Amino acid sequence: MAMKLAMVYAGILLLGLVLLIIGALIEPARPAISQSGESLIALGLAFLLIGVGFFLAWANPTR
Amino acid sequence: MEGEHGNSDVKFLIGHNAGRSAIIAAFIATHIATMAGLWFGGARLPQFDFNTLNGYLVLGLNYGFANPAINFVVGGIIHYTSGIIWGVVFALIVHPAIGRFIKPLAALTPVNNYIKGVLWGIVLWIISSAFWMPLLIGPLFAPIGVGVGPFLTSFGPYGVQALFTNLLWHSIYGINLGLLFSPTPAGGSRTWRSTSGVGVR
Repeated sequence: MAMKLAMVYAGILLLGLVLLIIGALIEPARPAISQSGESLIALGLAFLLIGVGFFLAWANPTR
Repeated sequence: MEGEHGNSDVKFLIGHNAGRSAIIAAFIATHIATMAGLWFGGARLPQFDFNTLNGYLVLGLNYGFANPAINFVVGGIIHYTSGIIWGVVFALIVHPAIGRFIKPLAALTPVNNYIKGVLWGIVLWIISSAFWMPLLIGPLFAPIGVGVGPFLTSFGPYGVQALFTNLLWHSIYGINLGLLFSPTPAGGSRTWRSTSGVGVR
């Protein structure tokens, strides 16, 4: 069960990384902005952080 | 070291009881999210300055524009107070309630505590995007021609990216709250126990 959960979070982390990279690639140079580019960057960072946070919790800092 | 309401069978990552742990964890989570929001521009995202927005709400746009530093500090006090109160609500009410209603999250493990924090961040994102921004910030900015749109879908020059950036902001808050407010059984050799006692007993 714990291993399956870890795989899910690894998937979330990977998804975040992919979204972040795609967002960064389609985001135009300043000062232009892209709605989809910034949306993907925001979603990518959110998933990435949620994935990283899970592994920090999994490492069990209270032990 | 005592746990919740005098129970000595629960320990916290910060503080000796749920209330104190919640206040400190929520302050840290609010500060990290607030600072990250100010730095969002560096990642090509809309800047989220909740200190200034809260200042505009209580001091008015005219005063806020004329006195940005005072507006930032006053708004910051309100914003941090809100962040701490939402954190205490999470720790004392929502955290044990989730454990009671969602059985897989009943055990007091760091991972379950973390998942609860992330869920709370998503709830606050919905509250912020559906109510706080459109109902309070929208009418406030309407006279100067800055809209918010339904569910934060057209904030100023931004489209739906403001909504997702708001999700990122509240995820940062929820992640840190879930990691820092982490009640676990005090006995190291004991198995994880039910969450039924924490925050409600």
